[in-house]
Amino acid sequence: MTGPFPVAIGGTAAGQAAPLLDVRGLGISFRNGPSAVQVTRDVSFAIAPGEVVGLVGESGCGKTVTGLALMGLLPRATSLVEGDVVLEGENLIGMSQRRLRQRRGAKISMIFQEPMSALDPVFTIGEQISETLRAHRSIDPREARERGIEALARVGIPEPALRYDAYPHQLSGGMRQRAMIAIAIVCEPRLLIADEPTTALDVTVQAQIVDVLGDLCSRLGMAMLFITHDLGLVAQTCSRLVTMYAGEVIEEGRIDDVLVSPRHPYTSGLLRSLPALAERKTRLPAIPGRVPALGEIPEGCRFRARCSFSRSPCEVSQTLDPVPPAALVRCCRHGELALKGVL
Amino acid sequence: MDTSQPTPIVAVENAGVHFPIGHGQVLKAVDGVDLAVMPQETFGIIGESGSGKTTLGRAIICLEKPSIGRILHAGIDPYSLSARELRRHRRQYQIVFQDPNAALDPRMTILKSIREPMDVAGDLPDRDRRARAVELMERVGLSPDFANRYPHELSGGQKQRVCIARVLTLRPSLIVCDEAVSALDVSIQADILNLFAELQAEFGLTYIFITHNLGVVAHVSDRVAVMYLGRIVELGRTEDVVLHPAHPYTEALLSAEPVALPSQLRPDKRVVLKGELPSPISPPSGCRFRTRCRFAQPLCAAQEPPWRETAAGHWSACHFAGELPIMSAAELHPHKQRESASRLGVHHE
Repeated sequence: MTGPFPVAIGGTAAGQAAPLLDVRGLGISFRNGPSAVQVTRDVSFAIAPGEVVGLVGESGCGKTVTGLALMGLLPRATSLVEGDVVLEGENLIGMSQRRLRQRRGAKISMIFQEPMSALDPVFTIGEQISETLRAHRSIDPREARERGIEALARVGIPEPALRYDAYPHQLSGGMRQRAMIAIAIVCEPRLLIADEPTTALDVTVQAQIVDVLGDLCSRLGMAMLFITHDLGLVAQTCSRLVTMYAGEVIEEGRIDDVLVSPRHPYTSGLLRSLPALAERKTRLPAIPGRVPALGEIPEGCRFRARCSFSRSPCEVSQTLDPVPPAALVRCCRHGELALKGVL
Repeated sequence: MDTSQPTPIVAVENAGVHFPIGHGQVLKAVDGVDLAVMPQETFGIIGESGSGKTTLGRAIICLEKPSIGRILHAGIDPYSLSARELRRHRRQYQIVFQDPNAALDPRMTILKSIREPMDVAGDLPDRDRRARAVELMERVGLSPDFANRYPHELSGGQKQRVCIARVLTLRPSLIVCDEAVSALDVSIQADILNLFAELQAEFGLTYIFITHNLGVVAHVSDRVAVMYLGRIVELGRTEDVVLHPAHPYTEALLSAEPVALPSQLRPDKRVVLKGELPSPISPPSGCRFRTRCRFAQPLCAAQEPPWRETAAGHWSACHFAGELPIMSAAELHPHKQRESASRLGVHHE
């Protein structure tokens, strides 16, 4: 078996077992003066216990905002969130801040791209880990320290007892990212949202961090939503892939299926523009145009303007249709198109 | 130099860039590098942050003066020129940076940014400068409507096109592309890489492509150099280096690169390096990579490895180059070995 990641225990999109996380019709808008700008619309997907799901798309497609909404981290004063985010049977949308705080860190955690801005520079790593522990468990300081050092060891930080008392600036980029992961997993959450966790890191350090995350998923039985624009990383880490475009989920499927035979022209376009897989020195098939800006989302299929397959049926809003056995696609022409994947 | 050989457009001869950092310490960002880039070649430099690849790129276009050795431009040492000659000379050697937001002045219109190099050079009459700027805007795929807009009104990809247009205004012969596509989304990145290829054919450009992205380097480069802690550890034709790496560090880089392939076509094993890049202030003795190398021997700590040619045009700095059980092409790139791969369907169980 390649890669450190376990094969998903749970089912696929259809979901045989009860999913750990069930996102249904998630729509996010930002208030902009008297009006509101829609950022995502009808985002739905599920994650089974222990499953690793990739969320991909270009910048501005709504990936990070979706991750923040799952955590309940969007500012309530300026954002409108509709739909349901059901984690272990509880809807996080509309939950009181107090109860939400009890879930965050304990059941659902998130790590970010830039560990230096996510860590507080004036507190030691240890203080930041024990803060999480003491928020969720009644635990004495000495035990918190032991558990914190244990968490640092678990994410592969050498000399964890020493690093526990270090400040973020004393650690390298890779070590900071490990420290942030340690904070996120110290209470053994059921779901980790990893938002571009390795984008700021070198490729050899990225490989280490990906191994750490994979190891944690299999040892703790933790599920992960891996948000990235790197399709190579998704292939290596995830069992299922959700593609977003302009605020909508446009395709979902098992990773090995999607890589070989994507159903949506956008997913196909992303895969084909990868230089690593193209014939050397040949012209890369790029996707013309760019992601529409917020507030400039076109009518009908949102990808239509950039799609070489668009026809008149694409002028109406597209639905996310099931494709047996385990995929979903938002393209009315998916049945007639034979799209190229990575091969 | 043998006169029958074409003169390299850039020849780096045992060059180093050292920065004093106080307390009598010296950071040797680049330390004893030799390479030659031929006209109209695309030469890739790959390495992690801290490897010295950006400093080397800057030294090549006279943004840093070598502390040791020299860097020749078409046989000429630019530092032997007078200040006035140097200013004129270096127009031939341009650079495109990673972050177009930082490279463009937010208070200048796009047209002004593009024509600025010509305004500074002052060779052309005003009307010709404007005409050339507009012509280049169109050439790099920017609508003339953008001429009076400001950088904040453009996307990242469009801004990078502006930066490319502006370096072309002085008709350079060599462009250093320092992570020029790293900040872009993959579909935009593909667009810009295509543009670079077209411009190379059209203007006879030489590129030095500096990046940490192996996929990009392998796609565009004729030859590639791998840097580690200020030194080049391997250099050769791209297909040789990618398929048959001679240095354990190159092997690790190739192995760490995640490839978007289904599980049955991905490598079965990976080499994951331990630890991180040591400090360039006090690099390890002997071979600088030995502290992370899976094949390190006592010899590696005692002696610096020689720079030698293990196959025609394929150089590396490893005591044991050619003798190590480095992963083979089939192990590193199983999909390239399986021609039947394209016929592999999706298996639904």
